[in-house]
Amino acid sequence: MSDIGRMVPNEKPEHPYVLVSYAGSVFGNFATRFCSGCGYGIVGQIFTRIFEDEKLNPHLFPTIIGIGCYSQILLNVHAKSQKVLSLHGRAAPVATGIKLANPKMKPIIFSGDGDCLGIGGNHFIHLCRRNLDCVIFIFNNSIYAMTGGQGAPTTLYGAQSTTTPYKMFENRIDGINLALAAGATYVARTTVAHPRTFMKYFKKALKHKGTSVIELITPCVTYFGRKNLNSLGAEYTGMKGEKMDQGLKMFDWIKRNTVRINQAKFMSEEELFNKYVIGEFRYEINKPEYSEQYAKIQEFAMKRGTE
Amino acid sequence: MTSEVDKRFLEPGRHLMMGNVAMAEGALSAGLKFFGGYPITPSTEVIEHLAKRLPEIGGVCIQMEDELASINSVIGASLVGAKAMTATSGPGLSLMTETISMAANLEIPFVFCDVQRAGPGSAGPVTKPHHNDIGLVRFSGHGEFQVIAIAPMNCQELFDLTITAFNYAEIYRCPVFILSDAYLGHLHEIVKIPPKEEILKRIVKRELPEDLIKKFSFKDDVSGEYVIPKPPVMGTDYCPGLFLHMAHNYEGLPSPKLTQFMEVLVEKINSNKDKICITKKYKLEDAEIVIVGYGLPVRSCYHAVDLAREEGIKVGILRLVTIWPFPDETVKDVVKDCKAIIVPELNYTGVIAEQVERVSKLGMPIIKIPKVGEFHHPDEILKAIREVAK
Repeated sequence: MSDIGRMVPNEKPEHPYVLVSYAGSVFGNFATRFCSGCGYGIVGQIFTRIFEDEKLNPHLFPTIIGIGCYSQILLNVHAKSQKVLSLHGRAAPVATGIKLANPKMKPIIFSGDGDCLGIGGNHFIHLCRRNLDCVIFIFNNSIYAMTGGQGAPTTLYGAQSTTTPYKMFENRIDGINLALAAGATYVARTTVAHPRTFMKYFKKALKHKGTSVIELITPCVTYFGRKNLNSLGAEYTGMKGEKMDQGLKMFDWIKRNTVRINQAKFMSEEELFNKYVIGEFRYEINKPEYSEQYAKIQEFAMKRGTE
Repeated sequence: MTSEVDKRFLEPGRHLMMGNVAMAEGALSAGLKFFGGYPITPSTEVIEHLAKRLPEIGGVCIQMEDELASINSVIGASLVGAKAMTATSGPGLSLMTETISMAANLEIPFVFCDVQRAGPGSAGPVTKPHHNDIGLVRFSGHGEFQVIAIAPMNCQELFDLTITAFNYAEIYRCPVFILSDAYLGHLHEIVKIPPKEEILKRIVKRELPEDLIKKFSFKDDVSGEYVIPKPPVMGTDYCPGLFLHMAHNYEGLPSPKLTQFMEVLVEKINSNKDKICITKKYKLEDAEIVIVGYGLPVRSCYHAVDLAREEGIKVGILRLVTIWPFPDETVKDVVKDCKAIIVPELNYTGVIAEQVERVSKLGMPIIKIPKVGEFHHPDEILKAIREVAK
């Protein structure tokens, strides 16, 4: 990992947000470990940009990173942010501990579809249930990409992966519906093909008091795109697809395979099958937040002790 | 602020307490601020007591959704500078080992109360004692590291040694285990609470050091000593940019030197054995038969030794208060001239007996008295002593 900077030609980066990123501050260039066509570079850049523009205090916004391809995002996020690489699936409880032990903090959790909805599904449900003040990103590339392209709980029906070599036949999990049912108070989904919307949602989540769940659809060209046709999700139209072996083809597919929430209201279940509905699903500001509630309990208990 | 400190401590004097409660009160005195737990017999009283007591002093007690979450919330709290603890039993420990490895790797201090129960099984003899986690705590997890494990034998020690455990966690930055068991945890005994000034004198506080660069343990190239800096705190300047649970150097940056990294994690404890290991000797001066024991069974041994001495058998006890790191030198010194060693343990395998065998002379007779789910009667130990003395 220490050699990563040398792999990139040492040209002067012109982007103002590169030098404030971790890799930029160490190596002076835009080193990343992501494959070409990956969407995590966009996420890292947007995180750095908002961290810099909103002048977030790195002492108050710790970043907890789960395990997945996106763990390497630590090279691209803001150099000053304090990061913890948690265990696979356990980012949510680490954030719970951090938030409760220091209620001034607002943890930002990076987790993936396998991390958050597979191995850490239970922790995710209970994080939303408690309405703990934090931001949680679910990066959904519908595959376990770090280990080489195995099927995930979010893999689309009919998709191919190394553990589903014929086709994926399991029903997929919807992180947004899970968050809504569990009681998260700000729930939104967007894609890396809509970076401006993502920035808007992220800023809103930072100001929101309560659990903010933002699911991001990201492309994985290497393990998902190369094995699947871009007709995935459009089966009912009888379209003949081609392999999504380039970043742009996957971005095109993501844009075509997503439906705005107000549009989705008028679509049948069959039409929405294997599609991603994007938009804001819930924004509830009055629901009590966990650490505030606990502070009230502490106040009550302290009084009780003195009387 | 003063009232907050006051409420932390109980009134000095004698209190009748359950073992689990004594442990919880010891933790509160030591400055516990965060407890994340999940109910499991026989450790449930710890979380029940702390759920009431911790909010009173401005701390947090949270019941998480499972054991995996509770241990992870504990390390999260420890990362931001709170003294943190969890309590569980054997099945919970099995689930938590992955995170224990991570915490040991990142040198996150926390205290782990393991109220051991007879296993395996979740609905079996869960209120019976069984020292079956002795080996697990030492060899748990992936990666290599050395832990500290303390085995109290009565409620007074559960209170006192919990404070010691928190100090060890702060100083040596490794997982510290308190190995209680189902009988000890549920035992009601008199605990003498010392005045708060005395307790405050013993406590090691979480403070930021002057040197803000070196955040993780390392081997000093000049003196060859292992230096353990204070634990970093998130939300301050004394925090690495990244907590990465892999081989890292003292700044927290990844390092390719795995062997050296493992050496530091193990030797930072082993090189301080003389400061960490607590052993107690009883009538060992002229002893020909040595009983090596720890935890609850030692209480029967004391009585058995007194009876045997009346019969004129020269027998003594070496009691291990800290089990891990194993006090090689002390045990070697005690057993070098004796005739036989008796190791009564509340498990069948005899993990500590194996360790004693390792350090004793070749061919030394080592008599194990295994017992699971019940307590050694002094007569059983006396019988073994008589047989050896023949």
